[in-house]
Amino acid sequence: MKKLALLILLISCTLLSFGQEETKEKKLATIPSVDIKALDGQSFNTINIDNDGKPIIISLWATWCKPCIAELLAIADVYDEWVEETGVKLYAISIDDVKTAARVEPFVNGKNWEYEVLLDINSDFKRAMNVVDVPFLCILNGNREIVWKHTSYAPGSEEEVYEIVKGLVNQK
Amino acid sequence: MRFLFRSLKTFVFILAFISFSSPLKAQIPVGKGTISGDFMLNGMFYIPDSLIGADKVDSKVRANSYMYLQYTNGGFTAGMRYEFYLYPLIDFEDIGYKGHGITHYFADYKNDFIQVTAGTFYEQFGSGLTLRTYEDKYLGIDNSLLGARVKVTPYKGITLKGVWGIQRKNFDFEYLKRKDHVRGIDGEISLTELIPQMSEKGFSTSLGASFVSKYEKDEDPTFILPQNVATWGARLNFGWKGLRFEGEYARKINDPNATNEYIYKPGDALFASLTYSMKGFGISTSFIRADNMDFRSQRGTPANLALLNINYIPAINRQYSYQLISNYSYASQPNGQVGAQCQINYQIPKKTKIGGKYGTDITLNYARYHTIDKTMLPIDSITGSQSGTDGYTSNFFKWGKELLYQDLGVEISRKFDKRWKLIVAYNWLIYNMEVLQGHGGMFHGHNVAVDLTCKINSKHALRLEAQHLYSKDDLGSWVYAMIEYSINPHWFISIGDQWNYGNADKSRRIHYYNISAAFAIKTTRIALSYGKTREGILCVGGVCRTVPASYGLGLSVTTSF
Repeated sequence: MKKLALLILLISCTLLSFGQEETKEKKLATIPSVDIKALDGQSFNTINIDNDGKPIIISLWATWCKPCIAELLAIADVYDEWVEETGVKLYAISIDDVKTAARVEPFVNGKNWEYEVLLDINSDFKRAMNVVDVPFLCILNGNREIVWKHTSYAPGSEEEVYEIVKGLVNQK
Repeated sequence: MRFLFRSLKTFVFILAFISFSSPLKAQIPVGKGTISGDFMLNGMFYIPDSLIGADKVDSKVRANSYMYLQYTNGGFTAGMRYEFYLYPLIDFEDIGYKGHGITHYFADYKNDFIQVTAGTFYEQFGSGLTLRTYEDKYLGIDNSLLGARVKVTPYKGITLKGVWGIQRKNFDFEYLKRKDHVRGIDGEISLTELIPQMSEKGFSTSLGASFVSKYEKDEDPTFILPQNVATWGARLNFGWKGLRFEGEYARKINDPNATNEYIYKPGDALFASLTYSMKGFGISTSFIRADNMDFRSQRGTPANLALLNINYIPAINRQYSYQLISNYSYASQPNGQVGAQCQINYQIPKKTKIGGKYGTDITLNYARYHTIDKTMLPIDSITGSQSGTDGYTSNFFKWGKELLYQDLGVEISRKFDKRWKLIVAYNWLIYNMEVLQGHGGMFHGHNVAVDLTCKINSKHALRLEAQHLYSKDDLGSWVYAMIEYSINPHWFISIGDQWNYGNADKSRRIHYYNISAAFAIKTTRIALSYGKTREGILCVGGVCRTVPASYGLGLSVTTSF
């Protein structure tokens, strides 16, 4: 009962606070430090996600997730232009577990994707990022701070992603 | 001990509470740290429908819900999840995932040399054949360990891990009364990082080994049971240019338990994959053999519950999201399966006559599983069964006679222009219902799926999905059609129907229709749905559970901040 009361309190605090505008200078979150794997099986710490001061897109996906693939395919068609114009880099982090992880690299190459692909085999990064479901996409500015997050994919939403990336480049 | 658990819990709670008393918004700064979290609510209003087999439920309104909060400050992280499953969705009620409380709480400190975790945690050694704790909210699985974990990197390229803990058992919080616990160590050496010359030549290699032991008190009146059961595993990962090999072999000492009918035979498993890929082409093959490898914290746990599993024996077939064949998804058989799989991905190049402007993707795959070879030993004179003996002998290099599953699939995906995109898929399935579902012989089916997307403009898109499953077995043939209309970036509206038109019993040629609307904004998604769900099985990653038929109105809310 005590726990329940506390929970209700927590939820009401959350709801109350939603109505309030942030007055302090906004502090943006950065990427948590989680050990995941590169495609060659070597350990990769997510704080090493980097693009020399240029914007970064992180997409959490899986080979069994249809909307995730639709989103990455849609971006793949225009990725060359995006890179050329903004220098953006996309990290496609797969949450495929042991069952399908070995198929990620042939899949990615089979689709001719130019993304940086990483493997989050036991969903440690997904949990640390508070991701409930994939597809999940977030955009990082040149200081590697998260400026935009989105769950789910509708055809065309990649255009909004690009507008934000362009905005980040033009701010400088 | 009791004090330690309590104070940890209290600490996490207070931390969360203090941070919440201040006005907050997405990614809340607290001192130098930040608070983030996520929330899910999956609710349903049930309407009884005797035709589809949806019985009247004692509580019509049911919901699964949780909230997770996490505090991060540099290398320090603390988190907790409160789950409210007091009146869970009926499929969760069926598997005993019912209750409420703080099911996940931890404090973690990490730097370049060491990581220390206290509380509940998720961990995987190698490919998981010896240890894997994870959570899956759709299946109602959470086998986290409550205890401590230490991970050290004494030298670049060397990682050592040690874990000790008591496994979560749904909403049973009486950890201190438990008579079982798990401990394990794991080490991995990356030769690529140790020897720079290797990576310069394009090689990548790592070696690893793990040892996991379970303690459980023996209180059995009949048998003298091993109180400590150990597993060990060794693994190798080797890559050169586009070629990659990964393999792990694991062995378990005698572990009489409910899933193997209390036989004393040791178990073993081999999981290996070999892949090759280059731009535009990829091929992957994998192999799994598992013999008596069901490994749980409590030996009395029945096989049909995905509960208290210490290790993870993967299923290697391709996982489909097509509605009609998902009911015939393969479920991994840790106590006896041998399977192989091959998948080829190829892209017919862009801007060619056959490939079209955007290229055409082709995926081919084949998977096949059999039982393992078995020669039964004489029965025990006291128990009158195999129990108490070694059970059987098995030839490692021989496939068992009985086919469990076969899948042959082709998928072609092509974007015609900026507007039209088409995916066509065909699958030939053979599924052993007798072994995998416990009733009804072999299922043979042919499935054709079409998925057409029309992007009307950058805001509006229409997606049509149609499938036809042809079969003379089980419930016969089915058709499925679904139209989804999306208004970017917020709205998704869909209407779909599954029709069991080929059911031999004419009165059971039922329409399972579904209407849904979803609204997504940033990381929040709210969905309403109304319709019927057929009785079936739900599988994620080769782990399956049954889903009862249901009819009603559903609400789902997920958010993260």
